[in-house]
Amino acid sequence: MSWRGLFDDEVFRLRAVLVVMLGALGVLGVVLWRMQVANAVLYQHSLSEQSVRRLRLPGQRGQIFARDGTLLAGNQPSYNLVLYLEELRRPGRRQNTVTNVEAVVQKLAQILGEPPRLKRSDILAHIHQRLPLPLTAWRNLTPAARARFAEQTLGWRGVAVEVEPARVYPEGALAAHVLGYVRRAEPEVEEEAAFNYADPEMTGHAGVEKYFDALLRGTAGEKILAVDVSGFNYRFQLPGLAGKLQQRAPVSGHDVVLTLDARVQRLAENALEGVSGAAVVLDPNTGDVLAMASRPHFDPNDLTGVISRETWQLLLNDPGKPLLNRALSGAYPPGSIFKPVVAMAALDLGQADPAAMYSCPGYFMIGKHRMECWDNRVGHGPLNLRGALTHSCDVYFYNLGLRYGGEVIHDMATALGLGRRTGVELEGEVAGLVPNEAWKRRVWHDGWRDGDSCNFSIGQGALLVTPLQMASVTATLANGGKVWRPRLFLGLREAAGALPRPPPKLAHTMAWNAAHLRLVREGMRDVINAPAGTGKHAALPDVMIAGKTGTAEIGKKGEGHKLAWMIAFAPYEAPRYAIVVLVEEGVSGGATVAPLIHNIMNGLFHPDTGEGEG
Amino acid sequence: MSLRFYQRLLRLDWTLVLAVLALLTIGAFFIFSASYRAPELPVSPLYRRQIGFALVGLGAFLGMVLLDYRRLRDLAWLLYLIGLVGLVLVLVPGIGKKMYGAVRWISIAGMQIQPSELAKLASILTLARFLSNTERDPERFSYILKAFAIVLPPVVLILKEPDLSTASVLLGVTVIMLFVAGVPLRTLGALALAGVLALGTLLTLLFFKPQWVPLSDYVKERIMVFFDPGRDPLNSGWNAIQSALAVGSGGLWGKGFLQGTQDVLGYLPRTVSANDFIFPVIAEETGFIGAMVLLSLYAVVLVAGVRAATAAQDKLGRLLATGLTGLVFCHVFVNIAMTIGLLPIMGIPLPLVSYGGTFVIGALTALGGVQSVYTRRHI
Repeated sequence: MSWRGLFDDEVFRLRAVLVVMLGALGVLGVVLWRMQVANAVLYQHSLSEQSVRRLRLPGQRGQIFARDGTLLAGNQPSYNLVLYLEELRRPGRRQNTVTNVEAVVQKLAQILGEPPRLKRSDILAHIHQRLPLPLTAWRNLTPAARARFAEQTLGWRGVAVEVEPARVYPEGALAAHVLGYVRRAEPEVEEEAAFNYADPEMTGHAGVEKYFDALLRGTAGEKILAVDVSGFNYRFQLPGLAGKLQQRAPVSGHDVVLTLDARVQRLAENALEGVSGAAVVLDPNTGDVLAMASRPHFDPNDLTGVISRETWQLLLNDPGKPLLNRALSGAYPPGSIFKPVVAMAALDLGQADPAAMYSCPGYFMIGKHRMECWDNRVGHGPLNLRGALTHSCDVYFYNLGLRYGGEVIHDMATALGLGRRTGVELEGEVAGLVPNEAWKRRVWHDGWRDGDSCNFSIGQGALLVTPLQMASVTATLANGGKVWRPRLFLGLREAAGALPRPPPKLAHTMAWNAAHLRLVREGMRDVINAPAGTGKHAALPDVMIAGKTGTAEIGKKGEGHKLAWMIAFAPYEAPRYAIVVLVEEGVSGGATVAPLIHNIMNGLFHPDTGEGEG
Repeated sequence: MSLRFYQRLLRLDWTLVLAVLALLTIGAFFIFSASYRAPELPVSPLYRRQIGFALVGLGAFLGMVLLDYRRLRDLAWLLYLIGLVGLVLVLVPGIGKKMYGAVRWISIAGMQIQPSELAKLASILTLARFLSNTERDPERFSYILKAFAIVLPPVVLILKEPDLSTASVLLGVTVIMLFVAGVPLRTLGALALAGVLALGTLLTLLFFKPQWVPLSDYVKERIMVFFDPGRDPLNSGWNAIQSALAVGSGGLWGKGFLQGTQDVLGYLPRTVSANDFIFPVIAEETGFIGAMVLLSLYAVVLVAGVRAATAAQDKLGRLLATGLTGLVFCHVFVNIAMTIGLLPIMGIPLPLVSYGGTFVIGALTALGGVQSVYTRRHI
C-alpha cells in the first residue's frame, strides 16, 4: 500500500471513529429519552414514594354552645414539649440516636422538674413507626415548666414547645351527661387512605360529642413531609417540593348550639345537689330540652386527658353509675305522676263521666285481695276526678282502671310516646315499657288480670318510663296536646352569623276533648295550689304552677326503695316550662321533690333572687 | 514553523474552546447544586475549588498549545516511567490513600493527586510515539503485541488499586489508536472476538465460580450488581437505582436549578454526587433538554478532536490527537452510561464537569495536547 493510500485510509478510519463516538452518544440520547420523557412519570412516582410522606392533620374540633351563648365545650392550647429527632440524631446505629434522645429527656426532666414520661422503648417505637414526626416528650406543660424551659434551654437544638388544641369544658361538670367527652386517638379508618401518618384526633365518646361527632370533627388536612435517606424528616424547606405537592389546611368542625339554657341547666343541677336522680326541663312549645341533669355525675375535663386504667375502672365500677345519664338511660316505674295519663285515657278513650264520684275508705278489694290507698289511715272519702288528682287517691284510680281496663291506658300512654325512644339526639336512650294484655301473654304467658289494671292505673306494675319521656308527657299536657320530639340540637353557629336553625319537630297532636283536658289540668293545678294538694311545697306565690307528685316503689312493699317523682308545668295558662324531677331513694314526691320543683321554678321566674336558692 | 503567541492562539479551534468553557461553567454550577442543601445551610466550597482547578487547567491547556507536541516525543518514555512509579507508590501501604474501598491517591506536598491520570496521558503519548514510527508495519502482529506491552503495565497496576474503569478506558483508547494507526480490520476483529470471549468467560466464572476470578471482591461485586441490581439494593446497587431515579424523574425540562431532591435528601450519596454522579444531578434539574445540551457540547469536543487528528501534519500528531480525544470520549460514555444503567457502576468522572482537581487539569491538558496538534496543522 502506498504512503498516500495509507493516508487516505487513515482519514477514512478517523471518520469511522467519529461516527462510532457520535453514535454512542446518540445511544445515550435514546436511552435518556426513554427514561426522562417516555417513562418520567414512573421515576417521579418512585421518587416521591421514597422521599415524601403525607401526614394527616385533624381539623380543629367545633365548639359546643348553650342557646344563651355559654360555651360548654371548647378548645384551649395545650403546650407540649416535643423533640425533633432529625436534630438529635447521632451517626451510626440507631441505638446511638436513642441514647442521645434519652440523655436529652433526662436533662429536660431536671430543668422542668417533671419526671420523664418517655421510656427507651417509647423512643425506639417512635423511631420505627413515626420517625419523621416530632416526638412528644411531655404534654400540657404548666406555665412554670414552660418558663423554666424557655430560660434554660436557650440555644438547644431539637427541642421545642408546640401548641396542640385540647378539649376543655369551661363550665366543668355542667351538663356533663349531655355533652359527653372526647378521647384522643389516631383515626381508625382512613377515608382517603393515602396518608402515611396521622396525628391523633379527638373523637367524641358519649353525649352530643359522640352524636354530633361528624359535625364537630371538621375535615382533615394534610402536610407533606420530606424524608431523607435515613427516614428522618428533612427539616428545611425542600427545594422542588414547593408548588408541586399541595399542602391542604384542615377545615375546622362546625360549632354546635344546643337547646340547653345554661341557667336552667344550673337550676336543675342545683336541685339535684346531694341526691341520686334526674331532672329534665322542656320547652312545651317546641320540645327543646332546656336542661337535662343526672346525678351522680362526672367532670368531662377529667376524662379527656391522660387517665389511668385504674381511674377508668373505678368510674365504670362505681355502684352509683356516674356515667349513666338517668334522664334517658334509666327506666323507672312512674307511680302517681302517671295518673293524669290514666285520667285522660278514661275520659277520652273510655268515655268516663267526668263527674263520677268514687268513695275511698283507704283500701280497695279485688276479690279477696286488699289493695291499699297511699293514705290508708282513714281514706279520702267520696271524690270526683279533680279531687282524686289533688289527693292522688289510689282507690279512685283503681276504680277507673278496673272499669275501663288496661288497654285504654296502654293506648293513651303509647300515643303520648311512652314505651318508645323519644329520639332525642343522644345515644343510650331506652324505650321503657308500656304493658298490655298482648305483651303479658307474649312475655309472661299469662292473662291480663284485674290486679294488673289496678297497678297500671297508679303507674306501677310492669310500666317503666324515663324521666325524659315523662317530661315530654308533661309538655303535652301543658301545651294542650302537642307531642314534640324532644331535641338538643338548636342549630349551627357559623362565623358569618346567620345560623341555620331547623324548626322543632312535631310528632303529632292528640285529639283530646278540651273539656277533659281542662279537668285534668285543673286537678294538676290543685295538686300544687289546693291546701290539701300533695305538691303544695312546690307552689310559688305569684306564678300558677300545675303538676303531679308520685312515689313509686321498687322491690317488695315495705322494704322496697322509693322513687320520688314530680312533674310540673308553669305558668298554668301559657306554659313555658315542663319539668320532671326524679329522686332515687326519696321519702315521697310531695315531701322530697316538691321543694326541688319550687326551687327550680323560683329560679326560672325570679332569676334575680339567686339561682334556685329561694 | 514558529509562530508568535497570538498567531498560535488564532489558529486554535475556537468552537472547542467555547464548548470547553461551557462545560467547565456547567460543572461549577452543578457542583454547587450538588453540595447545596437549604438556604439556611452553608454550601460546601467545592465549587470554588473547582473553579480554581479549572483556571489551573486552562493554564495547562494554554501551556500544551504553546508546547510543540513533537518535543513531547522525546519526553514520552520519561513521563511513562514517572507514571508507573506513581502507580507503584499508590500501592505501597502508608503512601497510597484509601477512599471508598480503593487506593487511588497519593499526596505530594499536601496535594492529593491521582497518579493514574498522569499514567493515562503518558501511556497515550508513548503509544502514539510507538505507533507512529513509520519503520514499523501495522499489519504485523508484533506491532499489536508491542503496543499492548506498553499499556499493560499501567493497566495491571491500575487494576490493582482497584480501578477497573480507568483500566478499561485505557484499553479502549488503545484499540481506537490501533485502528487509526492502520491495523487491519480482521486483526482488530479477532482481537475484539477474543475480548468478548474473555469477558464472557469472566462473567460466567463470576457467577458460578467467583473464587477463580483474579479480581478483588469489590470489583466482582460491582460487576455482578450491574447484572442484578436487586442483589444488594442498599449497597452497590443503591447508587445505580438512585441515579436512575434522579435522571428519570427529571422529565423533559427538569425540576429547575437547585430544585433536585435526590442529592439534597441524601439518596444520591453526598460523597459521589459532586464527582462521579454529577450527571444525575444535572439530568434531574435540567431534564432531557439539559442532558442533550451537555451531550451536544461533548459532541463538539469530539468533532474538534477528530478534526485535529485529520488535519495533523504527521502521524504522531494524528495518533496523539486520536488517543486524547478517545480518552475524553471513553470517560463521557462510560460515566453517563453507568448513571443510566447501561454499564455497571464504576468510579469514573465526567470530563470537565465532575469535581476533582487532578482530573479536570488532566482533561484540559489532554485537550491542550489535541490543540497543540491542531495549531500545527497542515495548511
